[in-house]
Amino acid sequence: MNDFTIIRRSLTARTLSTVFTTLSVAVAVGLMLVLLMMRDSGRKAFERGSGNMHLLVSAESDPLTSILNSVFYANPPRRPIEWPKFQQLQRVAPWEFFIPVQMGDSYRGLPVIASTPEIFSKFKPDAEQAWKLREGRFFEKEFEIVLGSKAAAETGLKIGDEVALTHGTPKRGEADKDAPAPHVHDEFKFKVVGVLEPTGSAHDRALFIDVTGAWIIHAHDRREAEAHAAHGGDADDDHDHHDHGIETTAEDLTDEDRKITAVYARVATRPGSDASAMIPPTFARLRADPTIQVAQPTQEINKLFQIVGSVDQILLAMAGVVMASSGVSILLALYNSMEQRRRQIAVLRVLGASRGRIFRLVLAESIVLGLIGSAIGVAVAFVGVRLVTAAMKERLGLVIDAGIDPRLGAIVVAGAIVLAGVAGLLPAIVAYRTSVAKNLRPLG
Amino acid sequence: MPDAALWIRDLVFKYRAAESFELRLRSLDLAAGEQVLLAGGSGTGKSTLLQLIAGLMDPVGGSVQIAGRDIHSMHGASRDRYRGTHVGMIFQTFNLLQGFTALENVLAALMFSELPSGQHRERAESLLRSLDMQRMHARVEELSVGQQQRVAVARAVACKPSLVLADEPTASLDPENAGAAIDLILKTCRENGAALLCTSHDPTMRQKFTRVEMLSELIAGGAR
Repeated sequence: MNDFTIIRRSLTARTLSTVFTTLSVAVAVGLMLVLLMMRDSGRKAFERGSGNMHLLVSAESDPLTSILNSVFYANPPRRPIEWPKFQQLQRVAPWEFFIPVQMGDSYRGLPVIASTPEIFSKFKPDAEQAWKLREGRFFEKEFEIVLGSKAAAETGLKIGDEVALTHGTPKRGEADKDAPAPHVHDEFKFKVVGVLEPTGSAHDRALFIDVTGAWIIHAHDRREAEAHAAHGGDADDDHDHHDHGIETTAEDLTDEDRKITAVYARVATRPGSDASAMIPPTFARLRADPTIQVAQPTQEINKLFQIVGSVDQILLAMAGVVMASSGVSILLALYNSMEQRRRQIAVLRVLGASRGRIFRLVLAESIVLGLIGSAIGVAVAFVGVRLVTAAMKERLGLVIDAGIDPRLGAIVVAGAIVLAGVAGLLPAIVAYRTSVAKNLRPLG
Repeated sequence: MPDAALWIRDLVFKYRAAESFELRLRSLDLAAGEQVLLAGGSGTGKSTLLQLIAGLMDPVGGSVQIAGRDIHSMHGASRDRYRGTHVGMIFQTFNLLQGFTALENVLAALMFSELPSGQHRERAESLLRSLDMQRMHARVEELSVGQQQRVAVARAVACKPSLVLADEPTASLDPENAGAAIDLILKTCRENGAALLCTSHDPTMRQKFTRVEMLSELIAGGAR
């Protein structure tokens, strides 16, 4: 028998009140932790996707859209960059890498990114971590395909499988595996040669092919449309595929076929350094070209988080209010219980408990409520975050590997416990001042 | 009187809220292990006197010594601690801790004793066994009145106090059970070496005690 037995008995004597009070603390702690985890991890997820690129060049309408579309696959980019333009831009600065990227094709609703082998050898999806293969190898020629880790998991494809890609991307939610895609390039089979390790970025959902393969498909479309027109059809009706016995290879490519949608670029830096004095002037020079859009991923992500930051702060403030209200509910639960506990307190005093010990007992009871609530809140937070990240992946396509800085988590939990302690002060004072003589009636 | 379990001289008490009530007691002594019935009608101040002796209320003047120490000269936690180790109390309605088991009620008293904590459980169990208490792990609200009384008696003597104060312990019992209850209290106090000051307005209780004091004769001028 010790003080904890008394606290336990006191809490179980009013089970319903204890459960609701504890739940209110749990909800507050859980909500606060979920928001903090999502905030930190969301930012990390965005930072991871752009990796070690300094600049993203595209023909999109604004820089943020170009980042969202070309790095996070929010939507397929709408405007292409012509190949001569790419070659011209390649000469603008001493690039460490200047990697052409073409998006717009898909497989079962997952984005297909067509690029050069440099996307694996030079671009890193995470600034500190290069690509790693779980199995197989990177693509080396056209019609080879490398799967992102989640793409592999979602499609069930394995090394050696052959697939046909879809021109265009069905709207999210329409990616029915069994439904026939509207514009499948059955005539070109891509062979799976590698599966990547997870990167924690949106790239995990992508399938990677050599850009020449993508160009050949589209050149084939063009040539079939031309053949169709030559036979009296409409040359623009490029979706009306008839077999004209045409075979298309890299030899048939023209500059018109060599369209790309973005360029991942990094200016030359000293070994081991991410910064370069060349970035601002290169950015300024590219920005002066009205036919292209140039974005600095880090700045655009910062802008994005400034926009959502105020919402973030409102949500955190709301979580703070919920936390405060949970403190009030502890206060009310304990304060209301005092009326029923006066006799118990008086008896404990008669048995030898000092006023100070009674004060500490009630305060400890309040803190125990905070502790239990916090523990449940932490569990709720981890389950909640899994649900939220699953929903964000499903609805927004954003891969968030949620986690929390343990120190921040400890501060939230400690804050809840301190708040519970503060909430217990008033009931503890009431208990401290409880008259023994009055509450032992019918003694007299 | 260093050997006295209780030694009272010139005790004066007034309720601030009800100035009309005043209790004046010239003297009352109980030797170690002595058992005394304090008789008096309702409203004569018996319960108030017991609370004064236990140090739960403060007198205006006079001295109350328990086992040689003036309980009112101590303050705060030291007085509470002294009460916990030297005074046991039994109430008319027992005042057991609801929601706690019979054993826990006795252990609760031992929490504040000087007995090493490792001996608490053994002491509580042996006391309850000596009082024929079978269901010591049952919650007190599940026990019969007689069993609750045993728990209350065990709790009062658990810390081996010098003095047990019993406030109308048989008032809510029928005559047959009241006789058995007072016998149990007398026997338990005797076995545990505690003096007993028991209040009662029931004249039939007087035959159980070798010494009976009438409160009306002890108080100077009577309670007003």
